[in-house]
Amino acid sequence: MGPLGSIAVGFVALVVLGALLAPIIAPYDPTIGSVTQRYQGPSMAHLLGTDQAGRDIFSRLLWGARSSLTGPLIVVVITAVFGTTLALTSVWWGGIVDSFMSRVLDLLFAFPNLLLAMLAIAVFGPSLTTAALALSIAYIPYTARVIRSTAMRERNLPYTRSPQLQGISGVTITTRHLLPNVAPLIVTGATINFGFAMIELAALSFLGLGVQPPQADWGLMVSNGQQSLLKGYPAESVLAGLCIVLTVAALGYIGERLGGRAAAGRKA
Amino acid sequence: MLDIRGLNLAIAGEHSSRQILNNVSITVDSGEAVGLVGESGSGKSMTLRSILRTEPRNARVTGSITLDGIDVLALRGEPLRLMRARDVSMIAQNPHAVLNPVLPIRQYLVEGMHDAQGLSVRSARLRAGELLEQVGIDHVDRVLGSYPHQLSGGMLQRVVIAGAIAGRPRLMLADEPTTALDVTTQAEVMAILDDCRRELGMAMLFVTHDLDLAAAICDRINVMKDGVVVETGAPEQLRDDPQHHYTRELMDSRPAGVIWTRTAGGAE
Amino acid sequence: MMFMTRRLLALAGVLVVSSFLVFAAMYAAPGSPENFLVQGRTVSPDVLAAIREQYSLDDPFFVRFWNWLTNVLQGDFGQSLANRQEVGDLLANRLPTTLMLVLLAAIVIVVLGVGLGIGAGVRDGIVDKVVLLGSNLGFAVPTFFAALLLMSIFSVGLGWFPVFGSGTGLLDRIWHLTLPALALALPSAAVVARITRTAIREERDSEHSVMASARGVPAMLVLRRHVIRNSMLPVSTIVGVHIAGLIAGSFVVEYAFTLDGLGTLLVGAVQRKDFAVVQAIAIILVAAFGIINLLVDVLYAAIDPRVGTRRSK
Repeated sequence: MGPLGSIAVGFVALVVLGALLAPIIAPYDPTIGSVTQRYQGPSMAHLLGTDQAGRDIFSRLLWGARSSLTGPLIVVVITAVFGTTLALTSVWWGGIVDSFMSRVLDLLFAFPNLLLAMLAIAVFGPSLTTAALALSIAYIPYTARVIRSTAMRERNLPYTRSPQLQGISGVTITTRHLLPNVAPLIVTGATINFGFAMIELAALSFLGLGVQPPQADWGLMVSNGQQSLLKGYPAESVLAGLCIVLTVAALGYIGERLGGRAAAGRKA
Repeated sequence: MLDIRGLNLAIAGEHSSRQILNNVSITVDSGEAVGLVGESGSGKSMTLRSILRTEPRNARVTGSITLDGIDVLALRGEPLRLMRARDVSMIAQNPHAVLNPVLPIRQYLVEGMHDAQGLSVRSARLRAGELLEQVGIDHVDRVLGSYPHQLSGGMLQRVVIAGAIAGRPRLMLADEPTTALDVTTQAEVMAILDDCRRELGMAMLFVTHDLDLAAAICDRINVMKDGVVVETGAPEQLRDDPQHHYTRELMDSRPAGVIWTRTAGGAE
Repeated sequence: MMFMTRRLLALAGVLVVSSFLVFAAMYAAPGSPENFLVQGRTVSPDVLAAIREQYSLDDPFFVRFWNWLTNVLQGDFGQSLANRQEVGDLLANRLPTTLMLVLLAAIVIVVLGVGLGIGAGVRDGIVDKVVLLGSNLGFAVPTFFAALLLMSIFSVGLGWFPVFGSGTGLLDRIWHLTLPALALALPSAAVVARITRTAIREERDSEHSVMASARGVPAMLVLRRHVIRNSMLPVSTIVGVHIAGLIAGSFVVEYAFTLDGLGTLLVGAVQRKDFAVVQAIAIILVAAFGIINLLVDVLYAAIDPRVGTRRSK
């Protein structure tokens, strides 16, 4: 991985740890502030200062890591499970099943990711869950496409054909032989999709369509801090934004090292 | 005319460097055809590339290469370009890789004569047709307007030969020019190459893994193994009285009854 | 030509199916539209019935879909429930800003992304290192964060650009939209720069480029005709994908800069459940997305002679 890789892995680990331990290590309640404590600079009491509502920014970043990580986690888990299942099913059955699935995926590809998420939010109302579920659906075609093409190659190799000739069931062959071969792809794809999901979920929260205030979330914090930033108090927006940038960059670097964007089914 | 003396070439890796050529000395006189025979990976191609100074960026070359007394290894910029354009031409193994896939054949030939050798576009275009006829191509206009992917390997290699003789260079470097071709066209292309060379009185340094083929067209043969020239001599001498055991091995390993064998080996 | 017709038909099919899906989703949405219209006031059942009558809310689903679809095909997108305006008029007012924003951002991607990528690809050393680092970080910067940073530095701090609004007149508009376009294009430009760099490096080492040099073709020509030209084949696809992607990204940037584009209209409509507007914008975006992707493929077939024959086989 090299030194940059170690830094990237270390940073991601730190963020995950911060999110897990937020209830223990965060010095303040992230949602409660005090008007007398507005716009404090960094101090021993408030490591990173306070926001326009007098809330401790450090605590909010720690708690914000939770929703900022759970959202993408939901997305990549659902995407991996459904994308893989769809891809392997259509590879195994082939024929009509395969071409039907391809059509469905093409249809999903026709919608820009954010648009799909916003449509879901229009129907079900704004929340992190809605946003994450909708993005998962938007991402499934990317994962399914890559896994389908790899599995298709494996499908025609002798090692998957001969068990079939011996009368072993399709499900067994698929889970025992195909799945292990596409597993590395799934992991790399998930790493890269995690970054994309984090940015797009943060964008939805920024638009007021994802995580709802007063909950702490990095995207929401960037948006909340907009007025403060323009008034000359950049801490909240900039720190939350940096958290997103660094986490996504680190994940991108790790993903690139693992196998690259191609594994995530992204052309770009 | 061409005098290679004590040529060493090492490719720098991340931690260590790999010695590709070790104290290689080869001479080619005017009008003479000299063979360089060895297995793939023995350093034959790298020897040719050093003469044209197209060795990889991370290669370190020492020793001397002179062409009519001019120190080739010291050439830079315009003098190097003129040497490449006028004095030495090269025919590589795979014509599909040599021709730019998005440019038509006409432009390949015109580029060599106009942009490299300084002929006017008009005369270059006229001459392009003549050259193709010279290498035995029938439908000249159709071929000139074609793109590389529309032509067979044998046809393309003729185009490359046409380009290589266009400037009537004194020396032609040929790197396994028939190895990548269809078995049925190998002999034909080889004959055209040999005819053109004799007609124009060009010298040739001919690289091949095929000792028989080299014996058939060369005046002298160098046998190379692991970056070292182990033996030099006339074809008959190598056949009747090989000095080095490797030469003997090469002689013995020839497939009986086959003149030119086709191998799947890639570029070295 | 066959290829074009087939693709256009496929696009039309996708549009019909996706408009059906969008329409169905809105239809199935919990909560009834007339409640949004009366906004919680108590009104008599007669009034509600009148409203349902006026907006044909009681017709069966397929009748409503059919009416909507045929109206849309005639350019009538219906009425916005939230502000009782023709959706078509709303869109027409908002479209120029979004189009201009996407266009400017596309220019930034081509100039900055492809330009820097070529620069980094043909030069080794410091230029390359800087571009590589910049693109590695750049793709991770969310557009809305870039928007805030640019705004606070260049508008609030230095006062070079206006903070909000879309401006009037062409030059004023461009001036207002420069920062938004930069923010929108930044992550894409970063990715494009990196991919361009890689493509250039691969072409530099490609055998046809090396052999062109070996034939004595001047270095500048080799660079232009063989290295840059050929590397533009994969790059053009990537640029196209990213320009198509700008459409959705523009919502966020419009919102950050409070521009009066389709994006802010959509965000507002989503929040207010103004379904007529949401449907209309969704269909327009899907169409635009599909058309850009189609254009990219056509362009690619035009610049790569290998594509046409492969398809016709």
